[in-house]
Amino acid sequence: MDLSKLSPKQLLEIDACTRCGDCLRFCPVYSQRMEEAINPRGKIQAMKKFLRGQYGLWARVFGKKKLDEAELEKFSEMAYRCTLCGECSVQCPVSIDSRNLWIALKEVLVDLGHYPKQLKMMKEHVLKDHNISGHDNSQRTDWLETLEGLPAHRYQKERAEVVYFVGCVSAYFPMAHKVPQSFTQILERTGVDFTLLGGAEWCCGFPLLVGGFRKEIQELIRHNIEGVKKKGAHSVIFSCPSCYHTWLEDYKTDLKLFDSTQFILSLIRGGKLRFDEKKIKVTYHDPCDLGRVSGIYEAPREILRSMPGVEFVELPNNGERCKCCGGGGLLEMIEPDLSASLAKEKIKEIQATGADLLVTSCQQCLRNIQSTARKMKIRLKAAYITEFVLQHMH
Amino acid sequence: MDKHLIFYAMFIPSMILFFWGMWFRVSLYLRGTLKGSEEATRWGKFIILLGRGWKGFWKKPLWYIKILITDVIFHRKLFRESFYRWFTHSLLVVGFVATFAVDMIKGFTTGYLVELSHSIPFFSFAHAFKTGSIRPFLDFFLEFFSFLILIGCILAIIRRFFIRPDQLRTEEEDVVTLVFILYMVVSGFFIEGYRIAHPEVAASRVYMADFTPASANNWISFFGYFLSLFLKNITINPHFLWYGHVIPCLVWFVYIPHSKLLHIFTSSVTVIADRVKQKSHAV
Repeated sequence: MDLSKLSPKQLLEIDACTRCGDCLRFCPVYSQRMEEAINPRGKIQAMKKFLRGQYGLWARVFGKKKLDEAELEKFSEMAYRCTLCGECSVQCPVSIDSRNLWIALKEVLVDLGHYPKQLKMMKEHVLKDHNISGHDNSQRTDWLETLEGLPAHRYQKERAEVVYFVGCVSAYFPMAHKVPQSFTQILERTGVDFTLLGGAEWCCGFPLLVGGFRKEIQELIRHNIEGVKKKGAHSVIFSCPSCYHTWLEDYKTDLKLFDSTQFILSLIRGGKLRFDEKKIKVTYHDPCDLGRVSGIYEAPREILRSMPGVEFVELPNNGERCKCCGGGGLLEMIEPDLSASLAKEKIKEIQATGADLLVTSCQQCLRNIQSTARKMKIRLKAAYITEFVLQHMH
Repeated sequence: MDKHLIFYAMFIPSMILFFWGMWFRVSLYLRGTLKGSEEATRWGKFIILLGRGWKGFWKKPLWYIKILITDVIFHRKLFRESFYRWFTHSLLVVGFVATFAVDMIKGFTTGYLVELSHSIPFFSFAHAFKTGSIRPFLDFFLEFFSFLILIGCILAIIRRFFIRPDQLRTEEEDVVTLVFILYMVVSGFFIEGYRIAHPEVAASRVYMADFTPASANNWISFFGYFLSLFLKNITINPHFLWYGHVIPCLVWFVYIPHSKLLHIFTSSVTVIADRVKQKSHAV
């Protein structure tokens, strides 16, 4: 087992776990599967066992124990059934940065050839077609077709101050098309000098990163940064929290990066965005990659509070303790039923608030919650925050 | 044979084994890749990490000290989660840290400075630590902080074996750790109780710590004094009691790097690293 995929701190974190089990109370996947091996404590203990067999006192004296393929397979199954929501990191009394630890452990598993076969296809799509769905990358802006009053440049200018990085899910999944459609209209109406990268936009690398293929994303990073620089832009805006976080953490760029909620808030504060009064009761779901992972909790709330007539109610679990909808960490791709069972819990929580509408700022959360609600035949109104903002704009 | 000599003959190898165990763990961590120094050797990484830690500390020493006290020693996060767990943990941590600190002061002053005072008169103040006015306080604080460990240990046992919260899974290691701690404190108090109950033991200098004035035993060594009331009519070989306390204590030290007790060090690092990350995100 090659430990170079982990950092010294991550190896130390494996020893820092005291098996207190606090993570069990918060792990959304464990709440559904109730298997010890699937919860954060179980995964750390499994890794500890592998380490002992390979690098423990006994192994140093008598040689490394051969890695048990069946145990590795089981470990892989557990490690990949994680939404990477990061709630275990927040709740851990000794503050183990478990989300990053899970990603590093997946890199170890990829190295050993133990990862779900669905990821192989996803990897091929991203590396060959430059998007997660395997479509022709020139179709990235197909969502523009239904927009009224589309300018001749189709929002793909030669140069602009700001680049709007749309992301694969919003570009290719019809259920999420409203996200870029509404955001471009907001940007247009507020006079922001922006452009899309169009077919030159490649996947940000997030799916590869969380799947354990970190070393493969360098080419994507280089290409995307070059694409933005060619436009002469100084800022990049994202409506996908996962793209935003990947750029923030892995792109190492001097460009200014904004999530859509931060950017909209700056437009409100700058007096460029005003709202009409419409009475509605809304609740807000914090996407894991925006909230816990990127630390953005206040911007979306400030937007909602600034809208006249909007009665904002919090979910029982909100902010740092917001429950994952099940759409993250590639779980939907690996085990859709498990992902849906998490969404069901989320829907119950949303319904308990009595809100007329759920607002969120992640296209993946929106897709997962809405499609599960449809399957359950539940009437649940949900909107991406830009969609909601556009509807209320003066 | 002199007890000091016997003690050091056991203490020094134990410390060597302890530090070897710690290096064994650290050298495993150093197999990981250090961002920005991917090609460094394990020793090189160790030096780089020490350097980063040292530099980081001196950029904001007061902030680090504050975090060490509030988040590591007094475990603020645990306090918000559960008072019972926080109280138990605090008793154990404060008990161990303070007992260790007082013991170090006691050992350094009575063992070295007193010796040194024979050639350098400046150090004659150390006699107050050995037989003078400070000694009763040292002994009292040792007793008090050890008592905190005992209470903490009992509370931990109650939670693990009687309250048994759903999330808790008791493994062999947990039992060994708790039994070890309980045995160490109880055997320490037992020796004390025996010494108080049998003045001839103190007079013959069987134990190393025998300067507590007998008249003050009831408040300085309050728990030992309480036990002594039951030990007056019991005769045990006092040497056996001493070895029965000291050897497990030293074995415990050697055991730390290979047990869950290692979290004393590792979780301190994870907590501080997390607060540093939070602070940098906030900026």
